[in-house]
Amino acid sequence: MRFPMRSLGIVLTSALALTACSSTSDDSTESSGAASCAPSSGPVTLNFTSWIPGIETVVKAWNDKNPDIQVTVQTGPNGNGGTYQNFFNQLKAGNAPDLGQIEYDALPSFRVQDGLTNLADCTEVTAAKDQFVDWTWGQVTFGEENSVYGIPQDAGPMALFYRKDLFEKNGIAIPTTWDEYAAAAEKVKAAGGYITNFSQSDINQFAGLAWQAGGRWFANDGSQWTVNLQDEGTTKVANYWQGLLDKKLVSTVPPWTTEWDNAYNKGNAWTWVSAVWGANSISSGAPDTSGKWAVAPMPQWTAGGTSAGNWGGSSTAVFKGSKHPYEAAKFALWLNTDQEALTLLNKEANLYPATKSGATLPALSEGVEFYGGQKIYDVFATASTQVAADFVWGPTMTSTYATASDGFKAAVSGSGTLADALKTTQTATIDTLKSQSIPVAE
Amino acid sequence: MKGIRESLFSRAGATAVMLLCTLYFLVPIWWLLVGASKSRSQFSSTEPLWFADFHLGDNLSELFAYRDGVFLRWMGNSILYTGGAALLGTILAAMCGYALAKYRFPGREALFNLVLGGVLVPATALALPLFLIFSQLNATNTFWSVFLPSLVNPFGVYLARIYATASVPDELLEAARLDGSGEVRTFFTISAKLMFPALVTIFLFHFVAVWNNFLLPLIMLGNERLFPVTLGLYSWNTQVNQIPELRMLVIVGALISILPLIVAFLFLQRFWRSGLGAGSVK
Amino acid sequence: MRSKSPVRALLFFILPFGLLFAAFYLLPIGYAIKQSLYKVQRTGTFGPATEVFGGFEQYQRVFENGPFWSSVGRVLLFGVVQVPVMLGLALLLALLLDSGLVKGRGFFRLAFFVPYAVPGVVAAIMWGFLYSPNLSPFTSLTSSVDFLSADFVLWSMANVVTWVYVGYNMLIIYSALLAIPQEVYEAAKIDGAGPWRTAWSIKVPLVMPAIILTTVFSIIGTLQLLAEPQVFRTFSSAVSSTYTPNLTVYSTSSIPNFNLAAAFSVVLALATCALSFTFLKATQRGGDK
Repeated sequence: MRFPMRSLGIVLTSALALTACSSTSDDSTESSGAASCAPSSGPVTLNFTSWIPGIETVVKAWNDKNPDIQVTVQTGPNGNGGTYQNFFNQLKAGNAPDLGQIEYDALPSFRVQDGLTNLADCTEVTAAKDQFVDWTWGQVTFGEENSVYGIPQDAGPMALFYRKDLFEKNGIAIPTTWDEYAAAAEKVKAAGGYITNFSQSDINQFAGLAWQAGGRWFANDGSQWTVNLQDEGTTKVANYWQGLLDKKLVSTVPPWTTEWDNAYNKGNAWTWVSAVWGANSISSGAPDTSGKWAVAPMPQWTAGGTSAGNWGGSSTAVFKGSKHPYEAAKFALWLNTDQEALTLLNKEANLYPATKSGATLPALSEGVEFYGGQKIYDVFATASTQVAADFVWGPTMTSTYATASDGFKAAVSGSGTLADALKTTQTATIDTLKSQSIPVAE
Repeated sequence: MKGIRESLFSRAGATAVMLLCTLYFLVPIWWLLVGASKSRSQFSSTEPLWFADFHLGDNLSELFAYRDGVFLRWMGNSILYTGGAALLGTILAAMCGYALAKYRFPGREALFNLVLGGVLVPATALALPLFLIFSQLNATNTFWSVFLPSLVNPFGVYLARIYATASVPDELLEAARLDGSGEVRTFFTISAKLMFPALVTIFLFHFVAVWNNFLLPLIMLGNERLFPVTLGLYSWNTQVNQIPELRMLVIVGALISILPLIVAFLFLQRFWRSGLGAGSVK
Repeated sequence: MRSKSPVRALLFFILPFGLLFAAFYLLPIGYAIKQSLYKVQRTGTFGPATEVFGGFEQYQRVFENGPFWSSVGRVLLFGVVQVPVMLGLALLLALLLDSGLVKGRGFFRLAFFVPYAVPGVVAAIMWGFLYSPNLSPFTSLTSSVDFLSADFVLWSMANVVTWVYVGYNMLIIYSALLAIPQEVYEAAKIDGAGPWRTAWSIKVPLVMPAIILTTVFSIIGTLQLLAEPQVFRTFSSAVSSTYTPNLTVYSTSSIPNFNLAAAFSVVLALATCALSFTFLKATQRGGDK
C-alpha cells in the first residue's frame, strides 16, 4: 500500500536531480573576447527567430541562392510580447536559435546575460562597418573596440508629421524649433485641436526626444555602469512636455489603441513627432486623412540646429552557443545589406534600412501619395545622418521602461510630474542593476 | 388566490432578473459580432451596436487567407490540443479522484492536499522550469511540450473525488467484488457510468481552461504553425503597432475562436442533462 | 481491501496522473524554490554571471518591496468586493434556474456560459472598447465617468472578471443543485415550505460545499490576476507594471531576474495557500471533516 507514494517520491527526486544538473552545466562558455569565426565544413542549417511580418519571403530568397547554408525561420509575438523572454529561457537551457532579432535597446540585456556571440573576428563583419549609418553601428558595438554584437537591421530616425491642410487653413507656420512648436500648440488649441498626443506608456518616443536633446541615459566605463536619467538634456525635455501637459495643449490618449488612431483620423491631433515607420502607422490608422499630411524635420532646441532623435530599430544577433557563427554572420550581413533583401524587408514590413545605401532604395525615393506626393523619405534620410552615435542603452531596459511608464502615466493623470517620474526611475533602475549584481555607480 | 398571485409575482420577478443578466452577458458578444461584420474604417466611425455595411464575408476571407491560412491551422491545433488533453486529462483525473475517494491507503490525505496545492501555484512560476525540463528532453517546440502539461488538471481530481464520494455507493463496489469483477473493470463498467455527469463537467472545465491557455504555448512554441488560436491572436495583437491592419483580424478571429466552445457546450449539455437525470436516481 | 490486487489497481488509477503531476507541477515547483535561494554574481559590466547560493537574500528583497505589498493589498480589496458579488450573482442565477420559475432554461444556461468561452485576453480587449470614452456604445455613460481612471479601473477590471466567471461558478452551483435528491424537496413540500424558503433553508445549505469550493477558487484566481491587468495596461494609464502580484512576477522575470521572480512566486503561492486554508478552516468550523 505504500507503493504509490514511494514511487512518486523516486520520480520526484530523480527528476529534481535532473534539473539540478541542467542548471549548472551551461556556465562554462567564455564571454570575454571574440569568438573564432571559421567556416564550417559541409552544409549547415541555421535557426532564426524574428517577428517581422513576411520574413519568410526574405529568408526564402536567401535559401534559394545558398543551398549549403539553409535558414529555418520561426516567428512569434514581438520582442517584449514574449520573444525576448523566450530567448532568455532558451539561453538558460542552452538551446537558443543561431540568430535572433533584437532591438537596439535590448542588446545590452542580452549581452549582460552572456547571450551574444562577439562577431569582431569575422572579417566580413568588421569590413562592413562603413556600409552602416554611424549611429546604428555604435548601437551594436556599444562604442567599444573589437566588439560587434549584432548586425544593424533597421532604423527609426525621427521627424515631424503634420496636418498640412489644417496648418495652412489656420495660418500657423510649421514649427522648426521646440519654442515655435509650443507656440503653435496654443494656436492649435484655439482652433479646437491638440498639437499632438503625448505618449504616456511608450517611453521609447520620449527616449528619442531625449536622445535629440543630448540626453545620455547610460554610460559604461568597463568597470561599472552609470545611470543618468536626470541629465540636463532629459530634464529639459521632461519639463518642456510637462509644460504642454499642464496647459492641456496635448491629448493623452494611450498610444497604439483604436482610440488613438481615431484621434488622428478625426483630426483631433495635428502632428506627431515620430520615426520613419510612423508613416505607415498614420496611413493605416487614419485612412480618412489621405493626402493631408506632410513631413518636416524634427523641431530643434536651438534655431538652425540639425539634430535628430531615433525611435526603434533592431539588429540581427548571433546567439551564444551557435555552432556556425561564420555562416550565421554571413546570412545576417546579407539580410541587412543586400539590396534585394532590403527591398523585400521594406516591402513586407516597412523596415527602413540601417545601411547608408539603403536610403536609395527605389521604394524610398518616390513620392508617397498619402503624404500628398511628398518624397517623405528624403527627410528621414537626412535625419538618419543627424542622430548622435553615442547614445547607450542600459542592461535592464524592460524594468526602466516599466518604472518610467508607471511614472509618466501617473503624471498624465495629474499626480506628480514627468521629472518626478524620471527621479523614481533613476533610483529604481540602480536598484534593479544591483539586484542583478551588475556594478553600478550610486 | 394568494398563492397564485404570489407565484405570478415570483415568475415575473425571476424572469426579469434572468433577462437583465442575459443582456449583461450577451451585449459584449453582440458588440463583437457587429464589430466583426464591419470594414476597418467603419469599425470606429459607425454605431458600435448596429451593423453598417455588411463586411463579414470579406473580413472572414481576409482572415482565412492571411499568411497562407495560418488562422485555420491555429483553430485546428487548438481543437487538437484542447479536445485531446481534455478527454485524456478527464479520464486521468477521474481515475485519481476515484481512487482517492474509494480506497483507504496511507498518505491518501497527503497526496490529496499535494494535488490541491498544485492549484495554488501561479502559472508564471511554472513556466520557466517547465521549459527547462522539456529542453532537457530536447522536446521544446513540439506538439507534446504543450499537450503533456495540459493533461494535468488538479481541479479535476478534486471534483472527481467529491463526485465519486457522492455518487458511487460502497455497497455497489462490494457487490461487484463479490461477483469477481476486477477493480479496474469495475471502475470502467460501473463507477465511471455513475460519475458520468461529473465527468462531463470536468471535461467542460478542462476544455475551456486548455482552450484559453496561452502562457504555456507562448513559452514552449517557436513554430507559428504549432500555435493554438489564443497564442496566435495574442501575437497578432502585439504587432498591431507595426501592422495596424491586424487589429480587424484580431476582432474577427476572436469571434470565430468562441464558436467551437459554444458548439462543445451545446453538445455536452445534452449528455450532461440526461446524465444528471440518471445520476440523481441513485 | 479484500479484493485480489487493490495495490495494483490503485497504482493503475493514481500513477498516470501522479507521474504527470510530479513532472509538470512538483518538479517545476521544486526548481522554483531552489532558484529563489540563489543569486547571481558577476565581474565587470559585461562579465559572465554565475549563480551562487544566496540564502534568503531574494526573500529579503521581496519583503522590502513596497509596490509588491501594495499590489497584494489591492488584490485583497478586489477580492473582498468582487468575489462575494460574483458568487452571490452566480448563486442567485443557479437558484432561479433550478426553481422552475423561469421558462427557457437551456437558453439561459447557454447565455450565461458564453462569456466564459471568451479567452481572458480577448475579454479584456473587448471591454477596453466598451469602456472607451469615444468608441464605447455607451458614450453617454463613458464620457461622464472615466472607467479607466485610477479611481475606477480596479472595479472596471472586477466587472470583466465577474462577466467572465459568473457563468462558470453558476454551473458548478447549479450542478450541485441538480444532484439534490427529489425526496428532500418532497419532504419540504409536505412541510408547506414555499419556493423562497425551500431555496434559502434547504437548497443553500445543501450546496454549501459547492459555494465554498467556488469561493476558494475565486480567492486563488484573484491573487493570480494577470491577463486582465496586463491587457488593461495598454489602454489605461492607471495600471502599472506592478499592479497585481502576478504582474510583478511577470515584470521581474522579463528583466530577466529569474531568482527574484522565483522568490516572488513562492511568497505569492504561500500567501494564497494561507488565505485559502484560513477560509476553509473558518467555514468548516463544526463541520464533519
